[in-house]
Amino acid sequence: MGIKDIVSEFLRFKSGLIGVFLLLIIVGMAIAAPVISDEEAGYRWYDIEWWTEKNIPKGVPPEWIGIIEGREYASTTEFTYTIPSRDGFRFTFNISYDMTADVPPSDIILYINVSKAEGAADEEYIVIMSIYRPDGTKIDRVLDLTTAAPLAKITISTDDRARSTIVTFMKKYDPENFEDITSRGLLEVIDIVKILFSEAQEDVLLEKAPPLKGEYKFEITLFRRSTNVTFNEAKLVVLGSAYGIFGTDSFGRDIFVGIIWGARIALVLGLVVAIVSVLIGVVYGTVSAYVGGWTDEVLQRIQEFAISIPLLPLLLILAYTFKPTIWNLILLLIVFSWPGPVKTIRSMALQIREQLYITAAKAVGASTSRIVLRYILPQILPYTFALVAFAVPGAILTEAGVSFLLGAQGTLEITWGRILSDAERKSAVLTGMWWWVLPPGLMIAISGLAFVLIGTALDRVLNPRLLR
Amino acid sequence: MAVVRYLAFRIVNALIILFLVLLITAVMMNEYVEDQIRTDIRERAYQEIYRNPQYAQWTEEQKQRAVQERIKFYERQYGLDQPYYVRVLYRTVDAMMFNFGNAMVLKSAGGSPVVSDIILEALPRTILLFTTGTIITIVIGILLGIKAATKVGSLLDRTISTFAMFTYSLPMWWVGMIFIFYFSYTLGIFPSGGMVSIPPPEEPMAYALDVLYHLALPLIVFVFVNFGGWSYATRSIVLNVLTEDFVNTARAKGVPERKILYGHVLRTASPPIVTSTTLAILGSIGGAIITEAVFNWPGIGRLFYQAILNGDMPVVIGLTYISTFLYVFAILALDFAYALLDPRIKVGVGGGR
Repeated sequence: MGIKDIVSEFLRFKSGLIGVFLLLIIVGMAIAAPVISDEEAGYRWYDIEWWTEKNIPKGVPPEWIGIIEGREYASTTEFTYTIPSRDGFRFTFNISYDMTADVPPSDIILYINVSKAEGAADEEYIVIMSIYRPDGTKIDRVLDLTTAAPLAKITISTDDRARSTIVTFMKKYDPENFEDITSRGLLEVIDIVKILFSEAQEDVLLEKAPPLKGEYKFEITLFRRSTNVTFNEAKLVVLGSAYGIFGTDSFGRDIFVGIIWGARIALVLGLVVAIVSVLIGVVYGTVSAYVGGWTDEVLQRIQEFAISIPLLPLLLILAYTFKPTIWNLILLLIVFSWPGPVKTIRSMALQIREQLYITAAKAVGASTSRIVLRYILPQILPYTFALVAFAVPGAILTEAGVSFLLGAQGTLEITWGRILSDAERKSAVLTGMWWWVLPPGLMIAISGLAFVLIGTALDRVLNPRLLR
Repeated sequence: MAVVRYLAFRIVNALIILFLVLLITAVMMNEYVEDQIRTDIRERAYQEIYRNPQYAQWTEEQKQRAVQERIKFYERQYGLDQPYYVRVLYRTVDAMMFNFGNAMVLKSAGGSPVVSDIILEALPRTILLFTTGTIITIVIGILLGIKAATKVGSLLDRTISTFAMFTYSLPMWWVGMIFIFYFSYTLGIFPSGGMVSIPPPEEPMAYALDVLYHLALPLIVFVFVNFGGWSYATRSIVLNVLTEDFVNTARAKGVPERKILYGHVLRTASPPIVTSTTLAILGSIGGAIITEAVFNWPGIGRLFYQAILNGDMPVVIGLTYISTFLYVFAILALDFAYALLDPRIKVGVGGGR
């Protein structure tokens, strides 16, 4: 059966076509990764600082979830205020934010950009922010700090003063829970941005109060001690409560970016491991069968030994001994995967060996290597396509498992297993961040499924006994 | 006689495989293990000399010399004065005799640092989860597979085939995470991990029920992920047999379909099914490292993970040995069964001809 026949036969199988289609989607993702996403993102996945700079909300669900739930999620909004230069030491201005979402924003970040006269680099200035809520209440001095930074970045959720001010403000509406939370030492855990955007009522400290919609006014006051400091610009970023196609993890990384870059590693690893190890296995099995005798015996014992090695334990041990790169991992997987197809191939080659044309080739004095390479291997090779297809999911699964267990000790590439490992370590399951756990696992399953569908169809094409 | 020779050959073969796997592990672990032993020896020698009131009058120099002597003595006792290859061989042989020594960090629930104790404590828990799961999976899988084979192309058949393909590449541990998310945290039906509640119930009956309650979710996950593959494999085997000539002959003779299936087909189809069943049940004892880690199930798999995390190499060697041992033993057991049942098995060198 030639390659052409195989292809035309293969196209008759619907399941095989679905497999090809799924595979094309994943290949498309892998190829397009640097185009669809910021190219730097692929290399900076583990650079948390870099992601923080990008002002992506942390740990929020995908944007489309709002449509399904029928609720409006806040989207990220930026307000820039250019501070007019003038004399005087006190600058006050307001920024209004109209909160219409059912799920309030996840964080607020305030940037103050200043320039300083020469020699005044250490001179400090004061930043104060108060918030007027739509219900007419005012939370006074949510921020009150002194800084010398040329670009001050203040994040409400991590600011201690903001935490105590907002909690103290809400305390009078919810005194009982306040006592309880304080006595259990859980004040640090409260999502203060959420309660800032909530109705001031009972249970607000348990984050159970409904959102308070309307116009929030952020009153920002800046003080300087001398004209050495010039205030240029204030930027208020209200981070949304949903993001992108797959949401973000609790480090503020776009999970979609991780998924498409992970597709590259999964495909390369799966295909390289499957193709190389099946090829080794095929040559090994053929030689073993054709040469026979003691050689066959020794080769079979070696294969039995290799297949008896417990794979995952040894991979873990090796990974702890040598820091694994993705190529080390590929090499190790090949070392452990080649024995798989040997027995099947050997029995096929044993049958072919008895064919008349092999005897004829021997009779005219063809060398062993010529018979194996030119007469036996080409007969077996078509069947190896199915073997390769079936070997890919195993390699991807094993890699995912190793990356999952090793976590930060593992490879430095973005892999789906590593994303799941981060999710497990950050208790994504416990905190309900399904968008962090579902996509990587589904991608592993879908890429595996694609190859299994292709493999099964190939198997039916090449193995007529199964055709019915 | 030929059978005996064949079996003897297989046993020697199995022992060689075991030895080689252990040797590789020992070579890789050697440095860790010896570092640990040297630290232990140093500590013990210092304690013996400095804590002993008998030597209290000695000068510092005398004590130091005595300590060095003790260290030398122990190093000789542990064979550390031997050349490298002797030490590695020694360790391999030791492990083959199930003598794994003491763990470095981990301890059994009873506080014993002996590796065999730690492993023996975890082993039944893994068997409870994975062997039970494997048996349930096989029973469901084989029954469904036979059903599907007799009704090729039916809705049941197509559903099983599709399901099998989908679960083939599904990571069991990921399904575990999803199930924990849905059944434990969202619905609150099952506990999210562990083997017993904390604190465990005191009454034996309540304790057993509590373990069953914790067992349920990982067991469901195991069966869910694995039974499709079993059904599909059984279906293929049975279908293959159904096309054999003797089945047609039996049909032509008018043998009832039920009798053909159970009397003729299944008897022929059973050897490969028995093989996979044996391998699966024995393989299940090795557990699944990641699934146990996800479910926090205190069996062999999680123990291995902890041993790796803590760099507790004696435990790692012990567990590697046990899992390889089980695999090799399973193959051997199958060889025995076939050699006794099938007189055609050829013996010895060149047996494959």
